[in-house]
Amino acid sequence: MEYILKGLTEAFSLLLSMDKEVYGIIFLSLYVSISATVLSTLIAVPSGILLGTIDFKGKKLVVRILYTFMSMPPVIAGLIIFLLLSRRGPLGFLGILFTPTAMIIAQTCLVTPIITGIVYNGTKEKGKLIGSLAKTLGANKLQALLMLICELRVNLLTGVITGLGRAISEVGAVMIVGGNIKGHTRVMTTTIAMLQGMGEYSTAIAIGLVLLLLAFTINSIIYHFQQVE
Amino acid sequence: MSIKFNDITKYYSNYKALDISECTIRAGAITGIIGPNGAGKSTLARILAGLDKADTGSIQYEGLLQAGDYNKKITMVFQKPYLLKTTVYKNIAYPLKIRGYDKKDIDSRVNNIINDMELQNIKYQKAWKLSGGEAQKAALARALIFNPSIVVLDEPTANIDPSSIAVMERMIRKAKEQLRSTIIIVTHNMHQAKRLCDDLIFMDKGKIVEKGESLQLIYDPRYETTKRFINGEL
Repeated sequence: MEYILKGLTEAFSLLLSMDKEVYGIIFLSLYVSISATVLSTLIAVPSGILLGTIDFKGKKLVVRILYTFMSMPPVIAGLIIFLLLSRRGPLGFLGILFTPTAMIIAQTCLVTPIITGIVYNGTKEKGKLIGSLAKTLGANKLQALLMLICELRVNLLTGVITGLGRAISEVGAVMIVGGNIKGHTRVMTTTIAMLQGMGEYSTAIAIGLVLLLLAFTINSIIYHFQQVE
Repeated sequence: MSIKFNDITKYYSNYKALDISECTIRAGAITGIIGPNGAGKSTLARILAGLDKADTGSIQYEGLLQAGDYNKKITMVFQKPYLLKTTVYKNIAYPLKIRGYDKKDIDSRVNNIINDMELQNIKYQKAWKLSGGEAQKAALARALIFNPSIVVLDEPTANIDPSSIAVMERMIRKAKEQLRSTIIIVTHNMHQAKRLCDDLIFMDKGKIVEKGESLQLIYDPRYETTKRFINGEL
């Protein structure tokens, strides 16, 4: 118990002293996860809306594949991106393995299906109804699309925030494609995993506290918007 | 604006939901569509409102020559209204906003219909806080605000309070008299059909069994099926 309390005390002093290394790790984590979430949002929102509103042959199969990817283990995503980006891989010539760019790509692959799935479910539930309403009020196609986006705003936000939560808290993919290189690709989750192995709990707890705070903030935002409407 | 339709069929998988050879809906009249559950009333209403396409047949809206006109001049109010996630005022203003009306004009028109529909107290209420009757009145106000030529109402007063029903029926009559809109109303309520409708169409099993002036159809139906429905036996 004593070492936990000691770790907690040291963690707070590390955070309050604005330790350069700790804050470097926090900012890199935020940079990688936010970039991946923004990229995923750009791909996932239109894809989810299209999938939810358009019927086509093979749609059921596409949805099943999407749901499978939603629960894809991060290490699998990391492994696939690693194989693609490694020197002998088809994209090895890019030379981006063990860089933040590779970590962003891996997290984008993880997060895109999650946001797409959430947007798809919201659109499937209300898309046709909103489409009919838009038509009865005389909206053109662009106005109908804007109405749909506006009406699904809580759903879209939930998707994006859930995606960000997933990105910032995953460890497997960024560990494999980033390599946990100090000052270069070391992020919060990989640091905690490494420090736990080394028995250095104070920094691990400090970073853990920041991660918990972020998770709390993310969930509070979702909760707030779901309660409002 | 009258509506003529011929040889309309609609299938859901292998089930023939609609099979109508010929019918005309009078311009400027309130036409009620009545019939038992599964008669095809709502299917026909959605097709007439341009929301669904018939598998065969043709519909002619007198005076509407271009396809683009349909959206701008035909509206529909559903049994369970969907209001945009904003205030009652903004919901009602929406059709005018997308048609490019200026703010002053929108404000004056919206306030007029809000007064007519007795919605003053909930003008700035968010849509998700409204009761069923309030939501349905707001939906009707939003549908009528842009002076549509054809208004299709699918059981608009089902499950709402009597005072809201009275306000809605008054507004439907006003739309007919002042806007000269052609109004089609799907209803299960024979009292309402008698109070409100000029003409009635009785449907059963996807077909139009009988059509005529409402009082004549209610008190002197030609067919036994119609009689049984009116007497509550179907």
